[in-house]
Amino acid sequence: MTFKKRYLRLVHLLFIVLLLIQLLPDKLSGDTYAQYVVWFAVGVEILTLIVSSFIKKPIGLTLFVDIVSFIYGLLIAWTLATAKFNLLKPALFPPPGRVFWQLIGDYEKIITNIFSSVGIILQGYLLAAAAAIILGLLLGSSERLGNVATYISKFLGAIPPIVYIPYGIALLPTFRSVSVFVIFLATFWPVLAGTMSGVMNVDKKTIDSAKVLNVGKITMLFSVILPASLQQIFIGCNQGLTVSFVLLTSAEMIGAQSGLGYYIKNYSDLGDYTRTLVGLIVIGIVIVVISFVFNKIQKYLLRWKH
Amino acid sequence: MSKIEINNLTVDYTEKKNRFTALKNVSFSIEDGEFVSVIGSSGCGKSTLLSILEGINTPTAGEILINGEPIRGTGTDRGVVFQHYSLFPWMTARKNVAFGIKQVNKDASRTERLKIADEFLEKVGLEGFKNKYPSQLSGGMQQRVAIARALAMDTDIRTILQELLLELWEGDGTSARKTVVFVTHDIDEAILLSDKIVMMTANPGQVYSEIKVPFDRPRNRAELVQTQEYNQFRNKLLAMFYSDIVSKIGGDEVVL
Repeated sequence: MTFKKRYLRLVHLLFIVLLLIQLLPDKLSGDTYAQYVVWFAVGVEILTLIVSSFIKKPIGLTLFVDIVSFIYGLLIAWTLATAKFNLLKPALFPPPGRVFWQLIGDYEKIITNIFSSVGIILQGYLLAAAAAIILGLLLGSSERLGNVATYISKFLGAIPPIVYIPYGIALLPTFRSVSVFVIFLATFWPVLAGTMSGVMNVDKKTIDSAKVLNVGKITMLFSVILPASLQQIFIGCNQGLTVSFVLLTSAEMIGAQSGLGYYIKNYSDLGDYTRTLVGLIVIGIVIVVISFVFNKIQKYLLRWKH
Repeated sequence: MSKIEINNLTVDYTEKKNRFTALKNVSFSIEDGEFVSVIGSSGCGKSTLLSILEGINTPTAGEILINGEPIRGTGTDRGVVFQHYSLFPWMTARKNVAFGIKQVNKDASRTERLKIADEFLEKVGLEGFKNKYPSQLSGGMQQRVAIARALAMDTDIRTILQELLLELWEGDGTSARKTVVFVTHDIDEAILLSDKIVMMTANPGQVYSEIKVPFDRPRNRAELVQTQEYNQFRNKLLAMFYSDIVSKIGGDEVVL
């Protein structure tokens, strides 16, 4: 790529505009913590320049730069509407500097809540996925069992897992175990259904090729049928993951004493909308990171598909 | 005693309450070290015959004897190369070969298996592709990996579908030749490779004729196809192949 293509981009102009508007006088009373916006923008700009220098594909650079432009544009509009012209209700719409300041100030509390939420998700999700995959492989290997299990799992999977929460609270000792239980249910049925559909639709030729090699029953199950149905299994896993986040944050807003959903609910009840926004942003980041890791794992395990 | 004896093999399929006969009273035998091609138009039961030889299907009547023993299910005494999908798409070429070796030789360590796999991939000229997945290989390359796997498993009888094997099979004449059942619909390929050609007809699948191939080995395709004997022999086979179809359709206005 030419120098022009790499570095002469609209995004850098937006960066300068974002810095310049910080020089306008504040209309809002109290500290707007503009320096946090400046630090954040400088950090993002340095990252953008590094990416611009090293990225190889022009399409990738354009995508990256467009995303950064969106962030700058949002920050410009947000700063102008709040700190600089005071167009919105300050209590509901804090200026961006205050949100960044709060995010850094609450750093420890947020980390604890992330660990609490992600821990619950991982526990419920991994238990459910492992159980559903093993059970699905066994049930799917028998046509008769697979058929009946498919219908039963369709019925049980159709019940929105959130309605289990009241029953779970009566059934289980802690709210944490209720959350794990609900996430387990939310993941178990789609993964089981995906695994069974994968196992029952494995190409007969694949099975025949394995048969003529005289593979044993366990090898057949785990080295042939499992990889052959992996794509379908991942469809179920994806579905389970999406529902898990929705469920957990909802559950945390109902009755938990920790977690990201609790953080948001608690502070919005107290009227602290700066922290509510902090919570929203953190949840967004956490979900994006987990989905990214999940997609990488999926891509790696399915790398043999083109 | 013949290496493989096929006696009065009949196979009926039931599909949506309709019974149809895929093979009817098929009998022929294959000697040790003989290369036999089975040819015929589509629907003549070639694949059914193959699946019974492999042990995937069981016949309705009749039997196949190998060394005098009836076939019972699949077995590693028979190496099989399928036309399609014979490789596992989630394994690289060398893992596919190594997986085959593992099934016949449980004692070999992982590194030993991979080493044997590499040797055989080199024999079929794929040393540069051993870490590729089947989807990254051409159809011909996939077949060669499948052949490498069958060879690496060091089994006795081969059911194969590849011309490349002529060279591998004829070898330098010092080692014993493997017994091969080769299923094809390509007459030239069948003549080039075979000692004997079994021609089948469809509806129901039956043996139409058994023909000995009179050409000396080792054969060279380019030279062979220019000889008059080859062309006469080929025409005779083609006439048989199509006379069957014409008599089945029953008209002389058939355009072939």
